[in-house]
Amino acid sequence: MVHTEGKSKVLYGLYNDDEVLLKAISEANHRHLDIMDVFTPFPVHGLDPLLGLEESRLHQAGFVYGALGTLTAFLGMSWIFTRDWPIIFGGKPYWSVPAFIPITFELTVLFASIGMVVTFYTICGLRPGVVNENLDDRISDDKFCVAFDTTHASDAEVDELNDFFQATGVEEVNTKWI
Amino acid sequence: MTHYILESKHKSVTLGMIAVGVLCLILSFFMEPDTLTGVGADGHAINTHARFWTNLLHNSVFFTGIAFISFFVITASITAYAGWYVAFKRLWEAFGSFMIVGLVFMMIIAIAGFLHVHHLYHWGGNIEGDRILEGKAGFLNNYWYTFGTLIIVGVWYFFYRKMRSLSLAEDEHGNAGYEHHKTMRKWAAPFMIIAGFTSAALIWQWVMSIDGHWYSTMFAWYSTASWFVSAISLTILVMIWLKSKGYYQEVTDEHMHDLGKFLFAFSIFWTYLWFSQYMLIWYANNGEETIYFRERIDNYPILFYGNLVMNFALPFLILLRNDTKRKYGTLIFVSVLCLFGHWWDYFQMIKPGVVHTVHDYIGHGNHSDALNDMEGHIDEVGHGASEFISGFTLPGFLELGVFVGFLGLFLFFVLNTLSKAPLVPKNDPYLGESLHHHVGYGGGNEVHH
Amino acid sequence: MSATVSPIREPLIRGSKTYHQITEDLCAPTERTPSAAWVIAFILAVGGLATYAFCLLWTVWNGIGTWDLNRTIGWGWDITNFVWWVGIGHAGTLISAILLIFRQKWRTGVNRAAEAMTIFAVVCAGQFPLIHMGRLWLAFFIFPYPNTRGPLWVNFNSPLLWDVFAISTYFTVSILFWYMGLVPDFATIRDRATGLRRRIYNFLSFGWTGSAKHWQRWEAMALILAGLATPLVLSVHTIVSFDFATSIIPGWHTTIFPPYFVAGAVFSGFAMVQTLMLMTRKILKLEEYITMAHIESMNKVILLTGSIVGVAYLTELFIAWYSGYIYEQFAFYNRVFGPYWWSYFGMMSCNVLSPQIFWSKKMRRSIYVTFVMSIFVNIGMWFERFVIIASTLARDYIPSSWSYYWPTWVEIGLFAGTLGLFFTLYLIFVRVAPVVAIAEVKSILKSSGDQYTPSTRETVGEEAVRKSNLDY
Repeated sequence: MVHTEGKSKVLYGLYNDDEVLLKAISEANHRHLDIMDVFTPFPVHGLDPLLGLEESRLHQAGFVYGALGTLTAFLGMSWIFTRDWPIIFGGKPYWSVPAFIPITFELTVLFASIGMVVTFYTICGLRPGVVNENLDDRISDDKFCVAFDTTHASDAEVDELNDFFQATGVEEVNTKWI
Repeated sequence: MTHYILESKHKSVTLGMIAVGVLCLILSFFMEPDTLTGVGADGHAINTHARFWTNLLHNSVFFTGIAFISFFVITASITAYAGWYVAFKRLWEAFGSFMIVGLVFMMIIAIAGFLHVHHLYHWGGNIEGDRILEGKAGFLNNYWYTFGTLIIVGVWYFFYRKMRSLSLAEDEHGNAGYEHHKTMRKWAAPFMIIAGFTSAALIWQWVMSIDGHWYSTMFAWYSTASWFVSAISLTILVMIWLKSKGYYQEVTDEHMHDLGKFLFAFSIFWTYLWFSQYMLIWYANNGEETIYFRERIDNYPILFYGNLVMNFALPFLILLRNDTKRKYGTLIFVSVLCLFGHWWDYFQMIKPGVVHTVHDYIGHGNHSDALNDMEGHIDEVGHGASEFISGFTLPGFLELGVFVGFLGLFLFFVLNTLSKAPLVPKNDPYLGESLHHHVGYGGGNEVHH
Repeated sequence: MSATVSPIREPLIRGSKTYHQITEDLCAPTERTPSAAWVIAFILAVGGLATYAFCLLWTVWNGIGTWDLNRTIGWGWDITNFVWWVGIGHAGTLISAILLIFRQKWRTGVNRAAEAMTIFAVVCAGQFPLIHMGRLWLAFFIFPYPNTRGPLWVNFNSPLLWDVFAISTYFTVSILFWYMGLVPDFATIRDRATGLRRRIYNFLSFGWTGSAKHWQRWEAMALILAGLATPLVLSVHTIVSFDFATSIIPGWHTTIFPPYFVAGAVFSGFAMVQTLMLMTRKILKLEEYITMAHIESMNKVILLTGSIVGVAYLTELFIAWYSGYIYEQFAFYNRVFGPYWWSYFGMMSCNVLSPQIFWSKKMRRSIYVTFVMSIFVNIGMWFERFVIIASTLARDYIPSSWSYYWPTWVEIGLFAGTLGLFFTLYLIFVRVAPVVAIAEVKSILKSSGDQYTPSTRETVGEEAVRKSNLDY
């Protein structure tokens, strides 16, 4: 007996080739089918516009993190060397901007990179130890998977989906509670 | 439209620009700033016409560089197996054709140097007793200057003609074995090496030696980067203009996006070189090196800081976003800014040094003992600060006019060369890739049709 | 056919692979028992590591006096090794980031191993400044942190401190970048495994599923990280060059140092990638993924960067004369004809002259020549750093303090030992992770697999290839 509480019943089809997959998705759009997700072994180009995925806004987050790094470094060093503990080095002024540039640059990159990578893993729900149940082990090998949520679907709707799979050259169709 | 047609309207506009330039150049010959003229021991007025000569040198160097870099980019792309640019490589070929015109201008300056007509270079006058310049005389002399320029630009132009004729021959007789392309590869790689050595040698003579006592190993790479950004800016501008006239429909937003990326990347690269040079000199604080920047910061602050604003801050902030590289309005704005900005950069490399040389010559300041020249320069900093020298402290209308004139001349040659061959080359092995080029912005590298 | 590919482009994946075969081939090295070659190599590497540990203990126990450094020559093999390793650590990020931005597809065959190499090289590099401190246990003093010594901060104006920031940032970002790429590949290994192995790889893969939205963000991340890593990689060796160039020592204070160090770093990094890839492809049987086309491309980069450093060497010599500054002139005269003339000679012949044989296509495509050349360049670039550091310091302003320096067995042991450390890490890496990026190779299969590229597609004749190119 499969434990189904809090899970979705997923109907999914596996395709053998990325180009067949893209054609299938065009067809699904044409039939106004509501795709839950698509799983592929590598980033398939041309997939995002077909699925209507909006462009990732990660770079905007990265800009904010980077700016934070810039300010931390530059203001930090400025405060330390003009207010907290001013020291003259080699006849340079306390506030010697050219000498602050390298560290400012490094911290900008550091903050932006760490911030974005952490954001990326967080919003994708990826972290060490998490177990995301896979629909099929071959998805990370050579199968291209289109998944539909059929938890609340009527038999007629499931038939319609099966019909779509068969019409688009699917290799295998399965159902799984996930 | 596969061929560009040089319409009479285009011709008259460029000729009009040239006329403006010639007029301004002539005017700048007669409108020498007062502070740069003097009275000789025999009571004769001394006028070196420095404004005229610096304008000529400045624009000749700038536009010759753009032509050279455009050709260099072709050879680098061929060597790197790049494909994306092929659809519009004729435009860069056309840019390269200006090298020969640049050579003519540089020869005028060289010959005038022999005849002591101008006083552009610190080493050009009487260097007796100046031990630093005497030490450099083996390199800084009119013979090297003239024959170096002649040979180096001549070699560049020779390679250029070779590549251009191969490119045209490929259109006519290209075959499935791509023999022409393979021959081009053989010519392209050695040119890159030759260009690497020779461009540095030329920059030292043409520009760095204006401040004859000063030196910086970075200088040649720095000013080459400046040429590079200028060439990309001008490419974007001419391309957008050609597209608006209905040409080059094969060149899509994808290509413009990549040109925009180049503009962005090389603006940052230029800044990197600028900072490295400035910071190292600032940090070590050696008088004979810092004088170069001290002079510019104190007496030419607008030139100095304007350079950074126009060539780093603004392009960086504007081109940071991806979509700005695909909006023609923004691209035009940034390209105009960078083209002018790097012209401005050469202005600040050339003009302040010449002011010194001319002051030396006409006897301003304490320069009786050439050995103390270094100190003399420092004196100069003090009393020069309050002086505004039109055409030197900032570009004036005449300078802008000469710039327009040279731009017109450059475009005239470019458009003329462009009209002589199909805009999109035939039979280039990478043409297919270029015509199906996608940068992968907004999802999907290769959108399936 | 989806991608338009030039008819003269060489394929980058040989053997008419399918997606499944790629998975099999690239996961195999992590799944089978290690070969005899691997075991022998590993034993040798661990032997090197043991040497390192011994010499390190010796140095810490007895003090820096066990080295031959003296008052005039305060930096010797230690800093030479540091700069050498940091330089090697540049090619990985260069291949991943700059080549990604320039869309050079051949990067996919070598990027994973090169990135790993970067990280391990930076680990080795980081050892030397720390050991050189003498009191290794006080190394944390280099970080600005609230401390018990009053409001005493580190010197933010010092290039040595910039180095601390640059190298730690570079190390962090390189790991983030490398691990981003590994996550989907670990998932591939996970899905082929069972039991404990599956649990371990699930842990490592962060629970990756391959969802379209995740891939989209993953690609966006890769591009942004590449965009950040490109100036970062330039900045790291730039800052290393600042260690020298901000000083007022003739031969060190020269403005060309930043780009010239970066070019040299790329040069030596590529040489080390070549050395490693030639061995890896042979031992792990990856000749179909790391092809002659890859090797040739890297040889071209070696030729190019070798020539750039050549331009820089000559620029330095010329400007030293041009400067009219006698100390500058003497510093360079001393480099070429002074007591360390042999290291200058070694540098010039290994770095500038010998790579010129790569003008010949035949040489570029010869495995043996490439291997020997890669070793030559590694040696030459070590000499370059030695020339800059030791030979410059050996002739002080005052002739009475002129000196000569020769390493002790401890210094030689430390250097050889870091090679052991490096190879130990690398050999472990090839056992636990795919050496070639699986997902990325799959993504270029249809544009660069030999059954798809026009230049090798059997079914198409010359005329058809030409037609496909012109038919747009």
